Amino acid sequence: MLQSVAHVILAGLSTGMFIWLVASGLTLIFGVLGVLNFAHGSFYMLGAYFCFTVLKYLGANFWLGLLLGPICVCIIGFLVERFFLRYVYHLALPYQLLLTFAFVLIFDNLVKMVWGAGSLTPPDLRSLSGSLEIIGRKFPIYNLFIIGVGPLVALGLWLMIEKSWWGRIIRAASSDREMAAAIGVPVPALFTSVFLFGTWLGAIGGGLAVPYVGLLTSGMGETIIIEAFIVAVIGGLGSLKGAFVGALIIGILTAFGTRFFPAFDMFLTFILMAIVLLWKPQGLFGGTK
Amino acid sequence: MSNQGMNRRDFLKWIASGSVVAGASALGTGVVVPSGLWAAPARIKGPIKVGYQAVLSGALAGYGEFHKMGAQMALEEINAKGGIAGAKVEMEFRDSTTKTDDAIKNARYFVDSWEADYLAGIDSSGQALALGPVMEKLDRVLMVTHAATEKLTEEWVFKKGVKQIFRICTPTYQDGHAAAFVAKDLPALKWATVSPKYEYGFTCWKMFQETLKKLKPGVSFATESWAPFGTTDFRSHINTVMDANPDGLYSTEWAGELITFMKQAKQAGLFDKIKHVMLPVGAAMDVLEGLGADMPDNIWISGRYFFLYPNNKNNNEWVARFRKRWNHYPAYVSETGYSALYALKAAVEKAGSKDTKALISTLEGMEMNSPAGHRVFRKEDHQAMYDVPWGKTKTDPKYPFKIMGEQKLIPARMCFNRPPFEGPGSEPPFQK
Repeated sequence: MLQSVAHVILAGLSTGMFIWLVASGLTLIFGVLGVLNFAHGSFYMLGAYFCFTVLKYLGANFWLGLLLGPICVCIIGFLVERFFLRYVYHLALPYQLLLTFAFVLIFDNLVKMVWGAGSLTPPDLRSLSGSLEIIGRKFPIYNLFIIGVGPLVALGLWLMIEKSWWGRIIRAASSDREMAAAIGVPVPALFTSVFLFGTWLGAIGGGLAVPYVGLLTSGMGETIIIEAFIVAVIGGLGSLKGAFVGALIIGILTAFGTRFFPAFDMFLTFILMAIVLLWKPQGLFGGTK
Repeated sequence: MSNQGMNRRDFLKWIASGSVVAGASALGTGVVVPSGLWAAPARIKGPIKVGYQAVLSGALAGYGEFHKMGAQMALEEINAKGGIAGAKVEMEFRDSTTKTDDAIKNARYFVDSWEADYLAGIDSSGQALALGPVMEKLDRVLMVTHAATEKLTEEWVFKKGVKQIFRICTPTYQDGHAAAFVAKDLPALKWATVSPKYEYGFTCWKMFQETLKKLKPGVSFATESWAPFGTTDFRSHINTVMDANPDGLYSTEWAGELITFMKQAKQAGLFDKIKHVMLPVGAAMDVLEGLGADMPDNIWISGRYFFLYPNNKNNNEWVARFRKRWNHYPAYVSETGYSALYALKAAVEKAGSKDTKALISTLEGMEMNSPAGHRVFRKEDHQAMYDVPWGKTKTDPKYPFKIMGEQKLIPARMCFNRPPFEGPGSEPPFQK
């Protein structure tokens, strides 16, 4: 029993940390720019595909792929923000959703044209395939690494937003765009930088998913973006703390559901979201603004 | 918000039609087609139009491509040799997605707007079942090349009399019943499953259990863990199975999800603990190639066709031609797609007509030779009877993926349900 519960928690933590990596960028962009970026899942997918391509052509060094892949995605993210998204910041949410959803379709099909319609399997990453015996059962070291990366990203984000100069300017600009601009903050450039950073986080999530899922498909971003949305809603849209806690809850709840209440595994997540929305419509850590 | 819904794009169709032209123009060397006065008089007013649909978008898009390779190759071969009874064959290939509505829309478009004479394809069992009444109204033959639900042929064709539906691939009997015939000789008594959380997964597991209980009364079934469509994280399912400590694992996971499942199971050490593993759809080329060396040895796999069986001239030459044409080993849907067009050819030539009624009565009971071997379309339910082996994965330096080593053939007549599909004597085991 101890063994099963321990492994359910480990599985839940690694699932949750994945959702967090995607939800963090989504939340950051929404919190600062006020844009609900549906195409964030596409950046996750592109992160995985670019990482795959680096692995394929520059030798199977995963860390190199994880470094270069997301940088390529950031270039695409820059073009999307600079030439499209920038023009809908002041428009109502439905317009933003329409535009970003269009990008979901465009990126899915671009991936199919560039990388082919079938699924891709990454080259053998032997160095990452080790396991560790935890209470009598093997657990992949890579998953432990993911479990460690999640909180590190959370800590880094917190330090950056709360403690750094850049973070202070971001907070100022997101609470009052005009005033910040009036005192000389280059708001458009600042927003681009935040968008790129959020995109980078999503792409890192995709890159990290390459050895974890072991399979790339066009459309792989759509499942995770829905989970990330649920997490963001439960935690409170725009709240990074909320997204982190939400991701942990959903990850562990799903793992427990699958193991102990298999009949309700898909249902649990949505019932939790419904309860949170009824009891606290702004989400667990949502502000009142 | 469904995964597949977002992906359906028509430009793939456009690409498909482009490749039809490109492929056809690449042919023609060394083939002498009689022409002018010496040509046999065309008995059929051409062209003969085939509407083919398979999944071309989303996670299963690779399957559609494999269908297309097989069907396209048959089309090129047939047309290079003068078509069917003198009539040229045309094919349009459409994305079926996995949604029922899309499959019905495609079927209607093919028949009502494009004036197709014959339809083929379909990967999803849900779509196949939904097409039952539609095909009856459209009154065209639909040759199913992948969807496996036994209900299609048992319920729609046999019980409700929808004569327009035929199936050229093996149904769930191969996945469920035949697996039980193999499992009875394994030293495993306690079985568990991780399988898809939908009709296909439930039905196969039920068939496997029922037949295995009859064949080997001492067996027990420890646990079942059902993975929803689109699962990318199987660790909780793997935990469920390992907690139950079975000796045998049966899994009808397939395509990309099977690849992910096998990789994650390997990392969790599942194959060190569970020695007898059976994968009814494990012999699919996308899975074998996708897993490569990550597929352990001595896993029992099967499929709707495997390119190394039967080891005869007809099949081996076909595989060689296929590799030459596409630079790829044929997947099982390539074989069924290819044979679906040759079934049409045989039926039209025998019937002397492309009329649906004539096609149906000719196809019923028709025998044909195909790469997968000898097929007979059973008259009662329109199911093609042919044999596919189960086999154990093996490393072979000649191939960059695991192949079927030791094979075990459960003949279709021993493991396929029989009409009237209810009451005693309609379910296996059969002796002869």
